[in-house]
Amino acid sequence: MAYAVLQKGRFDDFIVALAAQRKVMAPVSKGYGHFEFEEVRSATEIALRYIPTILPPKKYFMPQRETILQYTSDSIEAVVDFDPMAIFGVHTCDLAGIQCLNMVFSERPKDYNYLVRKNNIIIIGLECGDYCDQYASCAMMNSEMPNGGYDLFVTEFDEYLLFHVSTQTGEDIVKSTGLFETADASHKSRLAEYRKKKKSIFKKELPIDSKDIALLFDKCFESKVWDELNDRCLACGNCNNVCPTCYCFDVIDEPALDLTSGVRYRRWDSCQLETFARVAGGANFRENRGARQRHRYYRKFSYPVKKFFRYFCTGCGRCSRACMANIRLKDVLMDLIKAHPLDNA
Amino acid sequence: MARPKVAFFDFSCCEGCQLQIANFGEPLLDILKLIEVVEFREVMSEKYAGTLDVAIIEGSINTTHAIERIKGIRDRSKVLIAMGSCATIGGVNGIKNAFPLNDIAEYVYGGDSEYFESIQTMSVHQVVKVDYFVHGCPIYPPEFVAVLKAVLMAVPYDVPDYPVCVECKLNGNVCMYDRGVTCLGPVTRAGCNAWCIGNGNICYGCRGMVSNPNEKGSIDVIRRYGLSMEHIINKLEMYNKCRELNPHG
Repeated sequence: MAYAVLQKGRFDDFIVALAAQRKVMAPVSKGYGHFEFEEVRSATEIALRYIPTILPPKKYFMPQRETILQYTSDSIEAVVDFDPMAIFGVHTCDLAGIQCLNMVFSERPKDYNYLVRKNNIIIIGLECGDYCDQYASCAMMNSEMPNGGYDLFVTEFDEYLLFHVSTQTGEDIVKSTGLFETADASHKSRLAEYRKKKKSIFKKELPIDSKDIALLFDKCFESKVWDELNDRCLACGNCNNVCPTCYCFDVIDEPALDLTSGVRYRRWDSCQLETFARVAGGANFRENRGARQRHRYYRKFSYPVKKFFRYFCTGCGRCSRACMANIRLKDVLMDLIKAHPLDNA
Repeated sequence: MARPKVAFFDFSCCEGCQLQIANFGEPLLDILKLIEVVEFREVMSEKYAGTLDVAIIEGSINTTHAIERIKGIRDRSKVLIAMGSCATIGGVNGIKNAFPLNDIAEYVYGGDSEYFESIQTMSVHQVVKVDYFVHGCPIYPPEFVAVLKAVLMAVPYDVPDYPVCVECKLNGNVCMYDRGVTCLGPVTRAGCNAWCIGNGNICYGCRGMVSNPNEKGSIDVIRRYGLSMEHIINKLEMYNKCRELNPHG
């Protein structure tokens, strides 16, 4: 079973049935043009057409705050807290983000908190037929088309939702709910048509080949572009906190009121913050905001290419949308392209 | 082991931060297992004149009498905590510093102003050494507990030196600027878990500014959102006027 069809009239039944099996998270409108993944119990709560949520679905894989140890005066115990869930409606950019995190946390020493949680999350992707807005650069980052990383993947048509069934878990859901019809050749040809149209809509957003971005970053470390960002960046960390691939965390011990027992937890950290590279004695390795922005860009377009052989930008555009100082990823890359022409260009 | 002797003192303030503590509910019982409260005007009549393990100071300093009194408390206290915006950054009392002292005295006391001495408002650390800060108007109870635990374990408490936006974003809030409302979160230090924004209000900057705000960048943002500089300065001065007396505070 590769494809299954869900008539739109049965979409609510599907979400209700899924929610009876486990928690279901899906994009929900928060007003003012913003969306966020939240727990839903029916399809009416879900925004099928949405732009990338305020926080990426990363928050379910590595929560903003997560207890990793608990201790008393004579014992220490590792803690792995997880909640089995299904995330419905994950766009292809966010699927790519989860794939990046999977690589990071599967490295040795493996991060069991992440991996246990990941193993208890069912992912149902959702296809975008068009750009969400001008900040997206998913075509440049090759994340506009589905490329694995899901159990089920949904493409919306006028009267039905077409599900690509990618895993045994996905197949079990389709069978257990009993709401699906088998897809035939006409459904598949409509999907092919849809994808063909999509190729005419999604075009490389900047005049650079994806593979050349890493080469560009090999020569722009001393660029004046970073100095300009130093004047503009407010160091609020929004770009990190909304990024689907930022995974830095800080570890903190929190004693209970008896002062002898307590927990160790980790929480998201952010390389843009004043304190990120400040060390004992007060020295700060990246005091300059421009240097911190440069570091963030290198953590997306250069360092992970050397370590994981892929970019850690998915083109979702969240960092650009969340920046009050109007620092837009596409503009920064364009400035770099102009200031540092590649020899073969 | 004897519980450390702790006293609460109030200077110029509304005493709302002491009320926050009196209002703690059940956690207060656990806290009282750890400390012996020997003076706390808000909830008890007893006074204490001896050496204190911990003095918790609420309110800002704005008379010479208050200067003498806070120095006396400092001299007999091993650890001193400034609690609440008035104590940690001068708070709303600092608005006074935006006007000539004589005008202010005249405005408040009218013809009797000559009988009332008036000096510029200062935060506690602008007068005596402060060991720990619990910012906020009012204080955020979980942070007070975190600071108290740090004091009792004799370890530092690091007040976050990054903006409220961090905690706000982690809570998945829609940015106030996207709702067309001006918010001081981007320049105000975190630690309150974006308490106000989480409850539908804006950030008023009550915890004081981050140590290294990007002034040029902030001006760009203010322009981009079509806000007037005067409007923002007024908002900032509501809590942060005393910052000018001691920019490193």
